[in-house]
Amino acid sequence: MSRKLFSIFSTLIVVSMLLAACATATPTTAPAESKPAESTGEIKIGFISAFTGVFSSFGKMQKEGAELALEEVGYTAGGKKITVIYEDDQLDNEQAVTKAKKLVEQDKVDILTGLVSGDEGLTVGDYMKDKGIPLIPMYSASEDMTMRSFFPMTVRATWTGAQSMDVFGYWLATEKGYKKIYMIGEDYSYPWNQAGGFKRGFCRGGGVEVKSVWFPPGTTSDFSSMIAAIPLDQGYDAVLYNGAGGDAVNFIKQWSELGMVGKIPLLGQSNTFEKPDLDSMPKDIVGSLSPHHTADDLNTPNWNAFKDAFVKKYGYSPSAASEFAYMSMRMILRAIEAVKGDVSDKAKLVDAMLKVDLSDTPRGPVALDPTYHSAIENVYIREVTADDKGALYNKGILTVKNVSQFGPYDPALYMSQPIDGNTYPPDLCADFPAEMLQAANIYEYLPFGK
Amino acid sequence: MDAKILIFILNGLTQAAILFVLGSGLTLAFGLMRVVNMAHGAFYLLGGYIGYSVVKATGNWPLAVIAGGLSIALLGFIFERFMLVRVRGGDLPETLLTVAISMIIADLAVVFWPPQPITLNVPASLNFPVQVLGITYPSFRFILMGISVLIAVSLYLILYKTKLGAAVRAGVDDRETVSALGVNIQVIYTVVFVLAALLAGFAGVLGGSYLQLSPGSDTTILTYSLVVIILGGMGSLLGTVVSSLILGQILSFGLAYAPQYSYFLIFIPMAIVLALRPQGLFGKQI
Amino acid sequence: MQNKNLPRILLLVAIAVLLVLLPLYAGQYTITTFIRILYFGFLALSIGFLIGQGGMVSFTQTAFFGFTGYVIGLLGLERGLAFPLPELLGLAGVLLTALLLGMVAVRAYKIVFLMITLAFGQIFWAFAQQNTSLLHGWAGIRGIRPPVLLGIDFYNTANFYWGALVLFVLGLYLLWRITKSPFGLVLNGTRESPRRMAALGYPVYWIRVVAFLISAFYAGLGGILAAYNTGIITPTTIQLSRTIWVLLMVILGGASYFWGPVVGTIVVVWLDVLVSGITGRFNTIIGIIFVITVLFSPNGLLGLLDDIRRGEKFPKIRKFLFPKAASGE
Repeated sequence: MSRKLFSIFSTLIVVSMLLAACATATPTTAPAESKPAESTGEIKIGFISAFTGVFSSFGKMQKEGAELALEEVGYTAGGKKITVIYEDDQLDNEQAVTKAKKLVEQDKVDILTGLVSGDEGLTVGDYMKDKGIPLIPMYSASEDMTMRSFFPMTVRATWTGAQSMDVFGYWLATEKGYKKIYMIGEDYSYPWNQAGGFKRGFCRGGGVEVKSVWFPPGTTSDFSSMIAAIPLDQGYDAVLYNGAGGDAVNFIKQWSELGMVGKIPLLGQSNTFEKPDLDSMPKDIVGSLSPHHTADDLNTPNWNAFKDAFVKKYGYSPSAASEFAYMSMRMILRAIEAVKGDVSDKAKLVDAMLKVDLSDTPRGPVALDPTYHSAIENVYIREVTADDKGALYNKGILTVKNVSQFGPYDPALYMSQPIDGNTYPPDLCADFPAEMLQAANIYEYLPFGK
Repeated sequence: MDAKILIFILNGLTQAAILFVLGSGLTLAFGLMRVVNMAHGAFYLLGGYIGYSVVKATGNWPLAVIAGGLSIALLGFIFERFMLVRVRGGDLPETLLTVAISMIIADLAVVFWPPQPITLNVPASLNFPVQVLGITYPSFRFILMGISVLIAVSLYLILYKTKLGAAVRAGVDDRETVSALGVNIQVIYTVVFVLAALLAGFAGVLGGSYLQLSPGSDTTILTYSLVVIILGGMGSLLGTVVSSLILGQILSFGLAYAPQYSYFLIFIPMAIVLALRPQGLFGKQI
Repeated sequence: MQNKNLPRILLLVAIAVLLVLLPLYAGQYTITTFIRILYFGFLALSIGFLIGQGGMVSFTQTAFFGFTGYVIGLLGLERGLAFPLPELLGLAGVLLTALLLGMVAVRAYKIVFLMITLAFGQIFWAFAQQNTSLLHGWAGIRGIRPPVLLGIDFYNTANFYWGALVLFVLGLYLLWRITKSPFGLVLNGTRESPRRMAALGYPVYWIRVVAFLISAFYAGLGGILAAYNTGIITPTTIQLSRTIWVLLMVILGGASYFWGPVVGTIVVVWLDVLVSGITGRFNTIIGIIFVITVLFSPNGLLGLLDDIRRGEKFPKIRKFLFPKAASGE
């Protein structure tokens, strides 16, 4: 190739260098350290979420909840201005790392939050382990972030996959007397965790089997063959669909089209019947049950205040994703207030977060476990019901208070078990280790609304 | 026969219907012009999205099908006449151009339509449970199969009973000679490309009505289309029919018995064909 | 002669110095971006070599890129094999797969070759996406950390950058030698007129297979760096849109030029960084650039510069950029 071309190429490289130098006009210290810009009177919060992709409705709701909390304090806390930088990771784990790097290394954020899916949480968590910046997952429910992969900068005021499902499984086995469940689940970490919690609760309550059929998320929208393959003559008490988002809508539609409604009860995981996806589902699934930490007909003063503000700003009722984001952001803001805006000592900031009073959380009182920085809160069992206009909503039927991420188990015992996957826990309750089946029952089922 | 086996077969036929509409246009375009329209998946997606908007606005599903098809046909025409024709001659630039267009379409779609997966709403008048041979099956899927058969018959008639069709078939066999015989090969190219685009748009509305449309689906659909035409043979309508039927059943039974590998399974017949008979089941030696 | 060469040599030295000293004056994120340029550069070189020298457009390279990442994740992270075993096994696996695939695909006519390689790339992707027992499906494998070699911890970004830079320069040099070697010339011949080459007695088929292997090797190398740098390997790394992105880098730079892929990678990665801050519609912008490039300058940026130099385009700019060539005529 000609020399002239090479010169031009070299010039391009040189130009790149100059661009690089210009882009980092503010002097930095050694690359491993990131100094946040709070000397300018501003606190930066990085927000990574899935704004495109299968769960993008959750990403949108998350942002809305967070913005509501920020607006309530006028984007100011501790005397400093709060700036939020939003990044879309397109529900791709690699992008999540790339964006996290950008936020931490280039934008020098003081706090990192957001995160919708379980895997985003784990991936970003991996990266953040040694960065010394608080990580506040909002919707990401992979339990290991506050269990086996825990690091002290993590504070999760929301939930884990297993938390509500353990309660649900136990109740179905003890109160409803179910013995065998047929589960169809999306094959990735969050549904594994949900299934894990469900199986533990179900088997502890006297269940016999949770047959698990896994399918890869995102490549299948035609569930009719899977639905047709469900055996109706082998004594299964119910079918549990362990998935959410667009896949859930399609599954439920096809469930109805193939005439399965009424043939066998349908159960959902926590997110299956969440609005707004619920609005796209056929009306004949009324009666389907699912567990979560919110219910659409909560009627406490705290919830109503939140709901009214949300409806006023966005025009529709909030669901769990928005509430989680709202209260997480509120916790962050209150913590910043508590340290009077000085976020230079991150450990002190995390301490402040753990001490924030969360008893006025919209969905119910929340306490933070000081060892694992996870939430201890209410679980609601809900039933899909039609309101007087014919629209579907999740009506709360039972409440269980003070549920921790470990359920009734001793933390050391819980974490000594293998991580929830698609082959663990076992489908047959008889294959469970004895100590996992013997934990005392601590769940008190209260009628909803008390 | 076991009720669920019947459902599996019917599901396979439904899948085959969509696959056929997808593959038929692409195979003709490839057979004639030796260009793979890498934007085929994006055309599908856009057609589906346009159909979605039409249904949302008017509730008229048949109108949505027509709108989806025609709008993409128009897009295909503009694209072919003003861009593809400039780089005709070399295979690579044409293919690259279609790649570029697919990126633009897929990316812009997110601006105008919801980023999460959506499905077209089929009115209840078209989608009601049908009791057949002891099972319940949605009528809409039978309609899909019917539309697909209709398209297949129409294509057959065009290809084998019209002069245009004869020219296309001759062009598939031997491009240079057809030009030498005085047929305006550029016009034939345009017609076939537009036809392929029309079919892609139809497929988008049809597929988007019982599956989902979402920002990533264009590459998945493109892959399906390529598998269909590689297996069936490029340039062969009959090949597309046969390969769609085979692949539809594989998808359906795969989803029932091995959902973890459902997508992966469809590549097996393609790999076998490539190793043993690279021109496809019914294709001609290139 | 001395006078003419001196400015050129000074320029080269200046570039080398700037590149080497980068971590000392640039921010962390900039270093990370340059590392991305380096490993995508490997992938772009891989595809560019095959197109430019061999005349074959392949869509499987991204799968090879991801293959080594997965092997490192599976053998290195999960089964504890130490460096350099996973890397070597990964590269060996890539070469073996490329051999088998190449032997089947290379026989095919150009566009069919493209479709076959695309389909095989998608097979890898589909398997990675759906198989959870081994490859963890959509979640991929997390927590991959670069090794500590000879006392140097490559987890440190600056160290990683230098290591990658050294590897890249070596790889470039090797590829340059291959391109200029008798094999390279023969490969060019098979690109230009395969039938004539066959008539002259050259084994066109095997030449192409070897070219495919070389290309796969470079893709695999890039994949090793990528996996260590991001710490994660997922099916998204090998999905079709990623392949298209890299193809664009090659075409934008200029596929028929040796330096084309590198130029293209620098431009596209920097654009990504710049544009992401403004809008999420990066793909649209890239797509439009792609269209313009294919329509008006199919030989990419370097081709454009070449055309200017030879007076075929924009004569006024020519005077400014290439005063010597302009005045010489």
